[in-house]
Amino acid sequence: MRRKIFPYLLLIPTYLVIVFFIYAPAFDALYNSFFRVSVFGRRKIFVGFQNYLSLFTDKDYLYAVNFTLVYTGVTVVVSIFLSFFLALLLDQKVPGSRIYRTLIFAPYAVSHAVAGALWGFLLNPVVGHVNYLMRIFFGIQTHWLTTTPYAAYSLIFASVWKTLPFNIIFYLAALQSIPTEVLEASIIDGASSWKRVWKIIFPLVSPITFYLVIMSIISATFQSFAIIDVMTKGGPGIYTTNLVYKLFLDGFRFQKIGLASAQNVILFIVMMVITIIYFSYGQRRVHYQ
Amino acid sequence: MRKSTKRIIKTIVFEILLITSSLLMFAPILLAIIMSIQPPEFVFSYPPRFLPRGLFLQNYLEAFKIVPFARMIFNSALISIFITLGKLVTGSLSGYAYANFVFRGSKISFYVLFATLFIPAEIVLIVPLFRIVSRFGWTNTYWAMTVPFLASATNTFLMQQHFKTIPKDFEDAAKIDGATPMQYFTKILLPLSRPIIAGAAIINFTYAWNMYLWPMIVAMEDRMKTVQVAINMIMNAESSNNWGIIMAATVVALLPTLILFFALQDLFVKSLVGSGVKG
Amino acid sequence: MRRFWLIVLVVLTVVSFAKVKIQFWHAMGGWRIEVIQNMVNDFMKLNPDIEVEVQYVGSYEEILAKLIAAVQAGTPPHVVQLNEISTQKMIDSGVIVPVQDLIDKDPTFDVGLFLPQVLNYYRVGGKLYSMPWNTSTPLLYYNKTMFKEVGLDPNNPPTTFSELIEACRKLVKKDEKGNIVRTGITWPLYAWFFEQYMALQNQPLVDNNNGRTAKATKVVFNNQAALNFLNLWNTLTKEGLMINTRRADWTAARQLFISQTVGMLISSTSDVALLMNESKKQGFELGTAFLPLPDCTQRGGVVVGGGSLWILKQKNQAEVDAAWKLVKYLAEPGPQIVWHQATGYYPIRIDAIQKLLVQGYYQENPHHLTAILQLLTSVQNYNTQGAIIGAFPEVRNAIETAVEKMLTGALTPKQALDEAERNANKAIKEYF
Repeated sequence: MRRKIFPYLLLIPTYLVIVFFIYAPAFDALYNSFFRVSVFGRRKIFVGFQNYLSLFTDKDYLYAVNFTLVYTGVTVVVSIFLSFFLALLLDQKVPGSRIYRTLIFAPYAVSHAVAGALWGFLLNPVVGHVNYLMRIFFGIQTHWLTTTPYAAYSLIFASVWKTLPFNIIFYLAALQSIPTEVLEASIIDGASSWKRVWKIIFPLVSPITFYLVIMSIISATFQSFAIIDVMTKGGPGIYTTNLVYKLFLDGFRFQKIGLASAQNVILFIVMMVITIIYFSYGQRRVHYQ
Repeated sequence: MRKSTKRIIKTIVFEILLITSSLLMFAPILLAIIMSIQPPEFVFSYPPRFLPRGLFLQNYLEAFKIVPFARMIFNSALISIFITLGKLVTGSLSGYAYANFVFRGSKISFYVLFATLFIPAEIVLIVPLFRIVSRFGWTNTYWAMTVPFLASATNTFLMQQHFKTIPKDFEDAAKIDGATPMQYFTKILLPLSRPIIAGAAIINFTYAWNMYLWPMIVAMEDRMKTVQVAINMIMNAESSNNWGIIMAATVVALLPTLILFFALQDLFVKSLVGSGVKG
Repeated sequence: MRRFWLIVLVVLTVVSFAKVKIQFWHAMGGWRIEVIQNMVNDFMKLNPDIEVEVQYVGSYEEILAKLIAAVQAGTPPHVVQLNEISTQKMIDSGVIVPVQDLIDKDPTFDVGLFLPQVLNYYRVGGKLYSMPWNTSTPLLYYNKTMFKEVGLDPNNPPTTFSELIEACRKLVKKDEKGNIVRTGITWPLYAWFFEQYMALQNQPLVDNNNGRTAKATKVVFNNQAALNFLNLWNTLTKEGLMINTRRADWTAARQLFISQTVGMLISSTSDVALLMNESKKQGFELGTAFLPLPDCTQRGGVVVGGGSLWILKQKNQAEVDAAWKLVKYLAEPGPQIVWHQATGYYPIRIDAIQKLLVQGYYQENPHHLTAILQLLTSVQNYNTQGAIIGAFPEVRNAIETAVEKMLTGALTPKQALDEAERNANKAIKEYF
């Protein structure tokens, strides 16, 4: 008998947390998304799907959807290719590679907020180093954080810089686990090294790429809030306002609980879709190591 | 002969590429450290300078004056340690359940748990989570900053994967010796899992230390805020107009995890890759 | 039995000597945290039965969000400083004790000694809901040293938009490659300045007399007055005569001025003390002036901005009384003078200003005087009294978003006004 309930006891702590702090909020969001709630929560009227309707007819919200897609897309693509390239470099057995690896991995340890602060500094119009170098080398003289399209570039710099190491770490591990026979065989076949990289190595690590794309999407969509908040505050205008930033504004700046709840529900659904794609598609394909 | 020349050229090219990219990647952190120990004249010089001149620690003192920084460091440390311990405990318990026991509802509950695998609730569900925490009266307390994060599917998954690799013989032997399942867990399973636990610990610690949006929202007073939030506070502080001070705060925020990372790089990398979900 | 009464006596004594504990939340960061703490310490010395816990909570936006959470958790703070645009929202909230109710019951308090310009803002429907406290208006700061250097008269700062543009053009400095290394002016990207320029041209922001005679139903700023200001902003930006900041980034604007990257700054009067110190450190002479006006316009006035102190409903009446004592104290001439001198925020009382005049304070501190004169010379009517809107944060957001789009070239000034009007009206309609 004790043996029977034992596994359930083991699960209790985890489930308490998951139920109270993920599922309960999800239901709370769903419920409140059908109401319009006054600022101090004292008045509440049922509005049906009105919150969702006004979101999808709100130009600013649609813009945020669009910006999220573009920003996430560019960050993920750039980060994936750059990290694959850097991982290939690091995989070469050259002197000093350990030091290089340490330095290149370092940004993994810093937070998104720190990444935002660092790049905000490097790009600031008065004393920024990158701002200065850009002026010297490319003749770009601009206010990076407050003008279009540079504000978006700035964010992308910071988030690519921040997400690169994570991806490199995984690619490097994957590269190191490719059996040398495979590569030797292709050398004997006479494939040129560039061709070898794209025709043989890249496909071999594709399960990792799939995993990293998912993780990068999550990071660029959700964790990048800190970068945006520190660097551009969603501006200029709503130019760099993504879905999470918009949610933050509606939920905590303007106190529109109903509308913000609807946005939470949408984000939750998006995450569920990503998770389902991952498990149904990834389950079959991801077999590395 | 020609082949070896080719190899030398190749090595040189790789070296150059690697040196450039490692400098580029590390430069932001390095410049922050440099700027944080330079006086305002240096920070404000145009064109900007890259190499440090002397040591100027005033910025750090200023940062500690603008916000109660020492207290914030303490908060960050406390919260991170608490979350790390919590996740390890809950993760290994539930991982143990899924790895070593067959029980009714295991499959369905597994799905319920793993549906949340990628969900950072503190962002995706921030508004309702905040409402729930407020209703508990937890705003502005350590409870709000820790309890919602004391378990995660990732940790359960990691531990379950690892426990599965430990041969069944150990369990059978323990059973014959008369050990209870709990004794087997604490006396044999956990000691055998030290590396994976250490790895999970540093990943969890880094995640907790680097949280931003949630502490910013639930902490109502300066003395309850964390280091990450402090950076933005100092950037926006009415009295600060000096990047030296801002960079000093930034360095304080990034140093603990960076040092941890430098010291335990191999463990970090190994467990990070291990935590990657494998089909 | 005797013992019982003894215990009762002890308990009663303890209770009667027990301090009333209240919380005071404010949004004044930086060096002002200490100023406020000292003021409160003085208060506690005078009222040993009251213990005040002072908290700097963050920006005005954060303080409101956190107030809401605290109220919902059933643990509201006692005194909260909120910005001027939260007024209608708080009146509607049902969680506050209107200051007027406390004034009416308190014969020791004379509201007649307060500056009418300040009271008028916070009085809604003839009733004072919160105690005005940190009060400021915008001011033009300029670098006299730089003015001399480029041949501008340091004692004649620009008073009209064309003079302003002219001065900015002169202040521009380029390096040998033609890059601009110094330019004319900056001000934080903040809708407050837009509102000020409506009032300066004697125009309302919203209908129903700026929401003063009935609830505002729509904005009325889509007109020539607003266009004058947006055209100026647009021209200065397009010609590279102005540097724009991120939204509400006062720090960046100040930094540009202090580092002498720009020669002029429009910012709050609450920066007077800070800028006096910093300019001395940087070795330039500071000048202050009234805000320049569009050419050929009559000066209306400035609207007071800043914040006021709200008293929250409590279960325990003793706590409300203690909160009122604190609020009253902070509005007394003594603390008001300390506050004024340390920051540049106005003293909100006539007697405080008189005291300072007698002491000769303003002869030594001409910049503090410019600030006060600009307010005192303002025309007093609904337009300069300031707007009362429930959805004020959203209206500001609508204006700022449109302005930013204009500055990036996506919209013309007229289109920006149209968009701001549209979004602001939507927000007003949706306010609940």
